[in-house]
Amino acid sequence: MTDQAATGRVAQLTDIWKSYGAVPVLKGVSLALQAGEVHALLGGNGAGKSSLMKIMSGVIPANSGAIEINDRALTQASPAHAQELGLYLVPQEAHILPNQSVLENICLGLAASPRALRPRVEQLVAELAVSLDLDAQAAALEIAERQIVEILRGLVRDARVLILDEPTSALTPFETNALFQRVRKLQAQGVGIFFISHKLREIREICRTISVLRDGVIVLSGPLDSYSDAEIIDAMSRVQITEASGKDRSGRKVSQIGQPRLSVRGLSGEGFRNISLDVRAGEILGLAGVVGAGRTEFAETLFGLRPQSAGSVVFDGADLKRRSPRVCIDRGLVYLPEDRQQHGLFLEAPLFWNVSSYLVHRLPFFLRPGAERKMFETFRSSMGIKCTGPGQEARGLSGGNQQKVLLAKCLSARPKVLILDEPTRGVDVAARNDIYDLIRKLAADGVAIILISSDFDEIEQLADRVKVMAFGQSGGELTDDISVEAIARLAFGASEARHA
Amino acid sequence: MLDLFARNRVATLIVVLAVAYAAIGATAPGYLSGSTASVVISKSLVLMLISLGTMIVILTRNIDVSSGSVLGLSAAVLGLSLNAGAGLSLAIVFCLMTGAAAGAFNGLMVAYLGIPSIVATLGTLGLYRGIMLVLTGGRWIEDLPQGLKALAGNLGFGFSAVTVVVLALVVLAWVFLRKTRFGRYFYAVGDNRAAAHHLGVPVRRVQFTAFVATGLCAALAGLVFAAQIGFIPNQAGNGVELKAIAVNVLGGVSLLGGTGSVAGVFSAVIFITSIDSALVFLKIPAYWNDFIAGAILLSVLLLDGRIRQIIDRRIRARRYAVHERGPVPSDEKTTAQTLEAGR
Repeated sequence: MTDQAATGRVAQLTDIWKSYGAVPVLKGVSLALQAGEVHALLGGNGAGKSSLMKIMSGVIPANSGAIEINDRALTQASPAHAQELGLYLVPQEAHILPNQSVLENICLGLAASPRALRPRVEQLVAELAVSLDLDAQAAALEIAERQIVEILRGLVRDARVLILDEPTSALTPFETNALFQRVRKLQAQGVGIFFISHKLREIREICRTISVLRDGVIVLSGPLDSYSDAEIIDAMSRVQITEASGKDRSGRKVSQIGQPRLSVRGLSGEGFRNISLDVRAGEILGLAGVVGAGRTEFAETLFGLRPQSAGSVVFDGADLKRRSPRVCIDRGLVYLPEDRQQHGLFLEAPLFWNVSSYLVHRLPFFLRPGAERKMFETFRSSMGIKCTGPGQEARGLSGGNQQKVLLAKCLSARPKVLILDEPTRGVDVAARNDIYDLIRKLAADGVAIILISSDFDEIEQLADRVKVMAFGQSGGELTDDISVEAIARLAFGASEARHA
Repeated sequence: MLDLFARNRVATLIVVLAVAYAAIGATAPGYLSGSTASVVISKSLVLMLISLGTMIVILTRNIDVSSGSVLGLSAAVLGLSLNAGAGLSLAIVFCLMTGAAAGAFNGLMVAYLGIPSIVATLGTLGLYRGIMLVLTGGRWIEDLPQGLKALAGNLGFGFSAVTVVVLALVVLAWVFLRKTRFGRYFYAVGDNRAAAHHLGVPVRRVQFTAFVATGLCAALAGLVFAAQIGFIPNQAGNGVELKAIAVNVLGGVSLLGGTGSVAGVFSAVIFITSIDSALVFLKIPAYWNDFIAGAILLSVLLLDGRIRQIIDRRIRARRYAVHERGPVPSDEKTTAQTLEAGR
């Protein structure tokens, strides 16, 4: 690796504990970062990675534990304080002020005026060998450039510790290379970097040390060279709690899988390209990948929410060229969105309105609330939705019950093909098992299901077949040997898998 | 080219204004004169102050619809203290303090108690007007001393004391918002609140300050109103807040916060006020005023909306084009080719 311009410890975390309510998310985490070190931080969903980062950067306070940055203690939970000590968090999505100039974006919050800081920023831009128009409006910046702006913000604040949160999730391989060159330059200048990523290949390329977080504990830590990919994936994905109702797909016979329902050929659109897949009646097709792989964009394009640029979609033998959500719903292609608060539920409306909302265009001019309530009650008893009644507002339900209401809404449209986008995100274990049972039951009833999930355990448990997406492209397919490890190999290290 | 028009509302307004002036000047000789200019400026002062204050709040992505009532209340305090025998300067101090307090109450509710600004200021719109009516007992305040009216009197070249003060304030606001660090914070908070917080901007203090500034501007507008009219009716300032919001939109201040300039608001106020005076010269009945002002506002906004849509679409296309560029893995290419060949 490169010679260090400076040595010594730049960050030290000691015995960090954090819990939300009664749920512990960090259970005594200790980490150290040396000057000039690029330290990979890995962990699955809910491992506590993001809480740890937020604590380090002063966004939220820890329950106990000590944080030292450049040998000075972080005493208050404020981002400005952490920045003053020399730590800067480059978030996954850059915080951009779209109406300000690039220079103003970089210098905001600093005592000196942008004009006074300009020479220094220009020098940093030159050192990083990027081309960036400081006077351009930030709204026009591309994602990679926004990331550069965030990095420059850190540098202009003399940060000795940078946290890069999945910096490559929205970058092309070309832009990723450029970013890595910059990271190496920073490293040579003695900046310590926490590098958070899901992509093992990239971690191998840029990092020297690694720590893996699982269930709030560091389960693996040390020089990267001493661990194999398999060991790392294993440490990260070992299932801690065996699911209560440990049934797997053996409950359903493969012979129940019927004729093809949906056939997608070479579909391209915003954020993904050239995706082909088939799904048959009674089949659960897992669509796996890491965040930002383009799965949601794909699903939204399929459902007619985004424009497609190429490809064809054949549903039940009919070519769906011009799709709109209405057309899809009427034909029986139904999408359960990823973000239930924003895209799924009408939070202030009564539950029975929510359940009938996919059908509202088919209802008579004068509504019959009695029938709608009855429909809700049917779903309520069959799905075990816990609520005070059909008139309760959706906002008042727990995450799991909200998700069930959302599923009931999709089912009311009598889908033939159901796309479920992260159906158990933020759902407790009990409700999760209910939802799993329901998905299996739907498949047994002959519904074709596309299950999008970043939780590979979930895919392993439910899917008959798995399609993996990576970097907006097809990353491979699994039919027989569906295991968390196999999925992870395809999703994390897409290029090796494709060559294999 | 599109970008220029979208970004430079001031330039657009000035061009439109110049064309309009030339056309009116051609049809109604005598319109283009120093006296017209002086009339337009003095007529625009109240709207100018209210619009300026409203702009500061809108920049932070809030709204204030109570300024008309703050104007009325501060003017009433001014009039009552004068008629109770207070000296002019003391009465002005009371007037401004009333405005600042009213603004501070709005700011407290929005910035520190988390009430949405439209709700909070709709509440105080009624509340402040109510306090004014209680104070005055529902009567107009008349017999204001000559000293107050003299503030609006001509000092030379058609400029009065209040005109000088207001124009100085406009320049001050421009310098503050453009050239100071704290001024920049107003834009930052409205543009992206989370980002501003992340970078150590005191978000709540900025929002609170914006409301206090608006209250002060409204109080000053109350003073100008009283000085110009010479008495204070119950309904002083009624509805001016909506006109001020329209002016802001016309002047290129985004209701979503983060963009807008004092120059834009200034030109928009002059523009709107000029319409009134022009109609007189064109011998168009005054009851056409609102219709014409509304029509002009709508056409500017429709045009602007279209331009913005086009720009947004371009940015979106560029963002997703990211996936189309960069080195494509070679095996992916061959897959595409085999697919092509198979068709």
